[in-house]
Amino acid sequence: MRAEETTEKKANDKKSFSKRFENRTVLSIFLGFVAIIVLSQLIISGGSQYPTFISPVNILNILQQVSVPGIIAIGMTMIMISGGIDLSVGMLASLVSIITALGISKWNLGVAPSILLGIGSAVVLETIMGFIISRTSVEPFIITLGGMITFQGIALLLCNSREVIMQGELGFLTTNLIAGAKDPVTSLDLRLPPYVLIFFAIALLGGLLLIYTKYGRRIYSVGTNPHAAYLAGINVKNMRLSVYMIQGLLVGIGAVMLLARINTGIITLGQNLEIDTIAMVVIGGTALSGGRGNIVGTLIGIIFLGSIGNAMNMLRMPSEVQFLAKGLIIIIAVSAGDISLRISEFRARRSRQAMTQKASQ
Amino acid sequence: MENAEATDESRLFLEFNQMDEILRLESVSKTFPGVKALQDISFDLKRGEVHCLCGENGAGKSTLIKILSGAHQPDEGGKIYFNGTEVTLTPHSAIEMGIQTIYQEHVVFDAHNISDNIFAGAEISRRGILQHKEMQRQTEEVLRYLKSNLSPDTKMSDLTSGEKKIVEIAKGLVFKSNVIILDEPTASFSSHEIDTLMDIVRKLKSDGIGIIYISHHLEEVFEIGDRVTVLRDGCKVNTYPIEGLTKTTLIKDMVGRDPATFYKRERVPLGEVILEVENVTGNGVTDISFKLRRGEILGIAGMAGSGRSELMGVLFGSAQLDRGEIRIQGNVVKHSSPEDAIRNKMCFITEDRQNSGLFLTQTVSDNVFVANMVNTRDFVARPSDVLRTGEKFIKLLNIKTRDARTRVSNLSGGNQQKVVLGKWFNTNGEIYIFDEPSHGIDVGSKQEIYQVMVDLLKKGVAILMVSSDMPEMVSMSDRVIVLKRGALAGELAGNEITEENILTYSIGD
Repeated sequence: MRAEETTEKKANDKKSFSKRFENRTVLSIFLGFVAIIVLSQLIISGGSQYPTFISPVNILNILQQVSVPGIIAIGMTMIMISGGIDLSVGMLASLVSIITALGISKWNLGVAPSILLGIGSAVVLETIMGFIISRTSVEPFIITLGGMITFQGIALLLCNSREVIMQGELGFLTTNLIAGAKDPVTSLDLRLPPYVLIFFAIALLGGLLLIYTKYGRRIYSVGTNPHAAYLAGINVKNMRLSVYMIQGLLVGIGAVMLLARINTGIITLGQNLEIDTIAMVVIGGTALSGGRGNIVGTLIGIIFLGSIGNAMNMLRMPSEVQFLAKGLIIIIAVSAGDISLRISEFRARRSRQAMTQKASQ
Repeated sequence: MENAEATDESRLFLEFNQMDEILRLESVSKTFPGVKALQDISFDLKRGEVHCLCGENGAGKSTLIKILSGAHQPDEGGKIYFNGTEVTLTPHSAIEMGIQTIYQEHVVFDAHNISDNIFAGAEISRRGILQHKEMQRQTEEVLRYLKSNLSPDTKMSDLTSGEKKIVEIAKGLVFKSNVIILDEPTASFSSHEIDTLMDIVRKLKSDGIGIIYISHHLEEVFEIGDRVTVLRDGCKVNTYPIEGLTKTTLIKDMVGRDPATFYKRERVPLGEVILEVENVTGNGVTDISFKLRRGEILGIAGMAGSGRSELMGVLFGSAQLDRGEIRIQGNVVKHSSPEDAIRNKMCFITEDRQNSGLFLTQTVSDNVFVANMVNTRDFVARPSDVLRTGEKFIKLLNIKTRDARTRVSNLSGGNQQKVVLGKWFNTNGEIYIFDEPSHGIDVGSKQEIYQVMVDLLKKGVAILMVSSDMPEMVSMSDRVIVLKRGALAGELAGNEITEENILTYSIGD
């Protein structure tokens, strides 16, 4: 019993080390980025002020901003590990927000049924796309591109191309859980709405699902080699379908939270969400070709991408520069990840050669 | 118009004197790292002659073709003569000389039409503008010459495999052909299509084209061949004129390996019948029946393309069973997917390890763990359990790897094969399918894998083994069934299992 425990502990130690190693590159780039911003702030203020970028109030700010794309990025990570992609999430989020807002303020369904209707329709629509993707050989890129345009059309028809204004019925999602707390640095009010916690809960669940369950292992197998996965007894079609169903649920939840923040159902609500979430996932080291990636990496990607705009504002950069910075950082983070992967593979090959040489001697 | 046709005609009918030598190889050898694929081959081809190449799988036929098409360069010292002058063959120069190779697999663009395929890469254009009408006209002309009724604008994907082969021959003729090499042209042909092809070959021959014809089907060889050269283990055994030649002579030449290459296998007492296959039809095989006992290796022999792997696909549920019955331990089973087959204790070690057996970018333990997930009902799979499973099979199978978290892509071929074995050991399967168990692995690992197979038998497992490696087939099998064109051609047991008998069933009629 004792012996078993120690071997298990050793195994776990090894595992956590390798996990850390997996995301090391993106983490160090992110920390470097934070250091540069903090340093710039210190230089600008002549060292007289605490850098506001890493003040509690700003960190909570960033978390609020990234919660919705973050939740969707968790689902996107699973889809991309399985070898797929989903371009429709942005417009689907807009559609859900419009359906939910209409349900509350026009159709008078009540708050809870409207939320369920919104989330439910997201699940149904993603399931339809997942069904087509898993049962045909059409590229997920094409299907979800078609889905994106279709969802935009449905949304515009439903709201007659107008916004759907609500009376703050979803306010309970944006209440401040730590009302009254002050930031010791800036003495501003701290805000922690429930949806930030929901985001962390979903990230935790997603991470556990991928690492600790058979389901998670199968997602990786399908993404690595679908044919071998099929021959190893995995129902590849249903695996592909299921990741899109999960994404439907997550997009639904995210869209309702977005609606709660903005208080208006409108077509522009989910604009560019697909670009942002895919960027977050790839910054986090998930391969577009499938089979590789993890939630810790995606979390770093989420916070990294979310803090770029915020940091640029802090440094009073014009918004035009923000796009430039975002784009460059995506390119740097992803290519650095690839380069470090190549280096580690090269080292592995060399050590293997050394090993076989030793063995043959 | 008439004039133009006349010049085009003359392009097809090359001036030739019957029985002029067109191609000669003198002591050509080819060495790959660690393997001598061809040794001191001399070979010649005359105009208007059909020269057949025979030999078992791996005898060196493909290497020889690849040298003739310029894809491989022979070792120093060999000489190749074309029309009497010594030449160096590259893919480009071979085509320049009119040596056209038509490979077993179709090399076509399915989404395009016939004339686009024929002129792919050599389009006729005037000032940069494609001359579709001209290309269609020339295509039409060649197709008529080949007595084919196909229209030049038919899409390739609408053609049968026999028709595709005709298009590939036509492609060679549109440009210039002195030599046409046909590698297993009739695999997956209907009997009508075979007749059509024979007619085409006769026509080409009568127009002075030299033809090298490779086939596993001796009846075709005897129907159209003028001479036959037999290869064995990379060496030329003999060249015969077809007159007076018998099948027995040919087969005798093709077999006859060094007994040292045979593995001495320990025999295991046979147990009860575990798998019964009755009139199984589907996926290109028809009416296959056999029984398999615990402790037994049943060899599935036959030439490449005879339906061996296709049959395994049906049994394992990755291909559809149209008719017939599969019984495991007396119970009728329906395998609509590999998932069902694994639940019924079947394991499938595929031939193409890298594409269908392994998850190369995943770790050893990930790979070992994957298949048995079907058999457990847990939702949770703790990483430490996965790792322990990997470590267990690394020890058991003596897999040479740094640890269980090493990616499989970093392992050697033999060790990768052991990872595949570990994956199936972990499922506690009782019926193993080994498709080419020692394909592409070194001699030492081969012995280890044979030993693993015998150890499995001792545990009461039954094995179906598909193999193109004759020594392996003869030395490992308790019984052998031979397939030909998707049907059962014969069954051999005990002392009857010889290379000669297997070959007689797989290529004779």
